[in-house]
Amino acid sequence: MKINIENLRFTYPTGLEALRGISLTIASGEQVAIVGQNGAGKTTLVKHLNGLLQPTQGSVHIGDWDTRQHPVSKLAARVGYVFQNPDEQLFSRNVGMEVAFGPKNLGYPAEKVDALVKDALALTELSDKTETNPYDLSSTWRKMVALASIISMDTDIVILDEPTTGQDAVNVRRIAHVIAALRERGKTVITITHDIDFCAENFERVIAMSQGQILLDGPANEVLGQEAVLATTYVDPPQLTRLGLRLGLKETVRNQAEFLTAIRK
Amino acid sequence: MHERLSFYVHRDSPLHRLNPLTKLTMVFAFILLSFGSPWYWTPHILIVLVILPLSFVGRVQREYLLTAARLIFPAAGFLFLMQSLFQPIGQTIWFRWWVLEVTHEAVAFAFVNAARIIVMVSSFTLLLLTTHPSELMSDLTRRGLPSQFAYVIISTLQIIPQMQAKAQTIIAAQRSRGLDTQSSFVKRVGALVPLVGPLVFGSLVEVEERAIAIEARGFTSSHAKTSLCEIPDSRFDQILRGALIVSVILAFVSRLWLS
Repeated sequence: MKINIENLRFTYPTGLEALRGISLTIASGEQVAIVGQNGAGKTTLVKHLNGLLQPTQGSVHIGDWDTRQHPVSKLAARVGYVFQNPDEQLFSRNVGMEVAFGPKNLGYPAEKVDALVKDALALTELSDKTETNPYDLSSTWRKMVALASIISMDTDIVILDEPTTGQDAVNVRRIAHVIAALRERGKTVITITHDIDFCAENFERVIAMSQGQILLDGPANEVLGQEAVLATTYVDPPQLTRLGLRLGLKETVRNQAEFLTAIRK
Repeated sequence: MHERLSFYVHRDSPLHRLNPLTKLTMVFAFILLSFGSPWYWTPHILIVLVILPLSFVGRVQREYLLTAARLIFPAAGFLFLMQSLFQPIGQTIWFRWWVLEVTHEAVAFAFVNAARIIVMVSSFTLLLLTTHPSELMSDLTRRGLPSQFAYVIISTLQIIPQMQAKAQTIIAAQRSRGLDTQSSFVKRVGALVPLVGPLVFGSLVEVEERAIAIEARGFTSSHAKTSLCEIPDSRFDQILRGALIVSVILAFVSRLWLS
């Protein structure tokens, strides 16, 4: 499902202009990472995608829907949004019920809900914890429950707000694995992240934001190579990319494989 | 996210610059005056000629009037209505309807009581709008208030806006999961469970974390503590406090005198 944002501006009731003219198209099935300093407008931007915020000016289209004409509870069938803090959404007695909450709200028949829940739990490696109370799990697993509870809604677009913050290396790999699986299924994944290594390893397209505007937008290698521009929004390229730049490698590299290929030339 | 930790509105005004204790004295003086003064119109006069102008002096008139329109006046109006209808006092019957008798005395009583409520809530609103809670509490603890007590007050002042902000995030998260919070009443009631659960649980966790955080900074230590921020207490503050206390004493004395 295509996302089309046209000249989007947004001002908070406090008078703060958080988005200052964003135009953006995200094709169906793209994997996009959004980076930038705190207050750059990343969260404000993605909150427009499922109608939590309405444009002050400009428009946001999800497929053929204008977000102003559909309530959040209906847009939820197209755009899934995983919030940063799982504790702000978990309420059920056990993981299974928690994950079933979304698809039930969307009005899917019981068999379909069961199938979706089962699939989401398998993908997030939670199958053996179906009966556990979410609050008996560690915070890393609660994050996975929150992720599963959105995946089970089977939306074409999935938004992740800071999925790797406070997660250990094992869970970061798990999350990367989930994103890869969503890619294979043709889902669009949009991730806000401060974890630049995670961004470099898992996303083909990177958008850098600063002060309510898009600073850079393009293939990961191109964007991550622009060290000077990224510095203005307080983003450091990944270590290997910086090493590659210092060594004077011709192309921008962002992971070990690319680095080794480039240096052997 | 732009969460407000308290009702405090950061602006520069003469009211903001007053010492917190002076403003607190003012609040209690207004309340005591509105209840203690022998003159019937005292609370009404206080509202129109003192509290309302003070909101302009403090440059928080917009916030104050919004609070007044949304909360204070509806609540006081409701109280006025109930007391006018159900106070079984007075002989001068204005009119009778079904089992209800509306008397002149009941209406007069309700009118002054409603005004007292408005004075009470308004003066506290002004205090909260123009005084940062931590400034108020550090001033009071410096004057000998036990810090445990200060903690209870300050967390109470902060918890409602904090929970509001938290509730907003939770509502947004659950709506993103297809929860319908905007249509029929039945659906709204059903939607409460997914909202209240995380709110209560999260607040309990926060209380514990806060307790640990302040204890890590020696909260219960019995040593005398120094303060980083200076809170000015001018000659004008002291005179104003004195004047307020004298006016309250005068009000009570004249009440005793007249009765």
